Amino acid sequence: MTDMVKFSVPGKPQYVGTIRMAISSLANSLGFDVEAIEDIKVAVSEACTNAVCHRSTINGEYEVFCELSKERLVVSVVDKAGGYNPETYSEPCLECPKEGGLGIYIIKALMDEVDIFTEVGIGTRIQMVKYTR
Amino acid sequence: MTLQIQRSFDQEKGRWNITPKGDVDISTAPVLRTALDEAYREAKANVVLHFDQLNYMDSTGLGVIIGAYGRMKESGNDIILENPRDNIKKLLRITNLDRLLCPELCE
Repeated sequence: MTDMVKFSVPGKPQYVGTIRMAISSLANSLGFDVEAIEDIKVAVSEACTNAVCHRSTINGEYEVFCELSKERLVVSVVDKAGGYNPETYSEPCLECPKEGGLGIYIIKALMDEVDIFTEVGIGTRIQMVKYTR
Repeated sequence: MTLQIQRSFDQEKGRWNITPKGDVDISTAPVLRTALDEAYREAKANVVLHFDQLNYMDSTGLGVIIGAYGRMKESGNDIILENPRDNIKKLLRITNLDRLLCPELCE
């Protein structure tokens, strides 16, 4: 049995915290431990931050889809901000830290599975999975 | 989400004590940036960030701290994080920033 919860979010910084609290509550209801809930909160916030920073439409609205089952939580953050060319993305250099560019790296480190679908001219979907184990 | 920041200059040790309380994310990171910039403009000195009461931080906060770290290094000052909670420690560890910002956690 899988439940779907969807949010449609204005692309404004102040709503990232709202989504973080909502996802935290959903993760808690699935029985994740405190550390896993913190991982999910950070990963989802990073994905939402990307959507807000890259917004191209007037209100930059993006969507957050949550798929809840006994085994796992799948969260997808989908924007219509025009996408990016993944060939030009490079992993941040951890020896020479700079502002920005850490978000995707952090998401990959904290979640069990991460898939990024992006299409230039359309948008980006970051799909993240955490297993309840 | 809220973020409150207290800052004071320790004359004896010649350093800033800055204590953020709450959450640092995309909406509150500018508050942290302003606090660090203002302090450093007032007096160029080392900065100790007391993280005891910081519940949450993500890459937006790390970005602000890295930016401040870079500017401060140019004039020979340091920025040190003290008592980050486990969730923030983990973030520092996976980004390797613990070695720069709180070396005692690496031991």
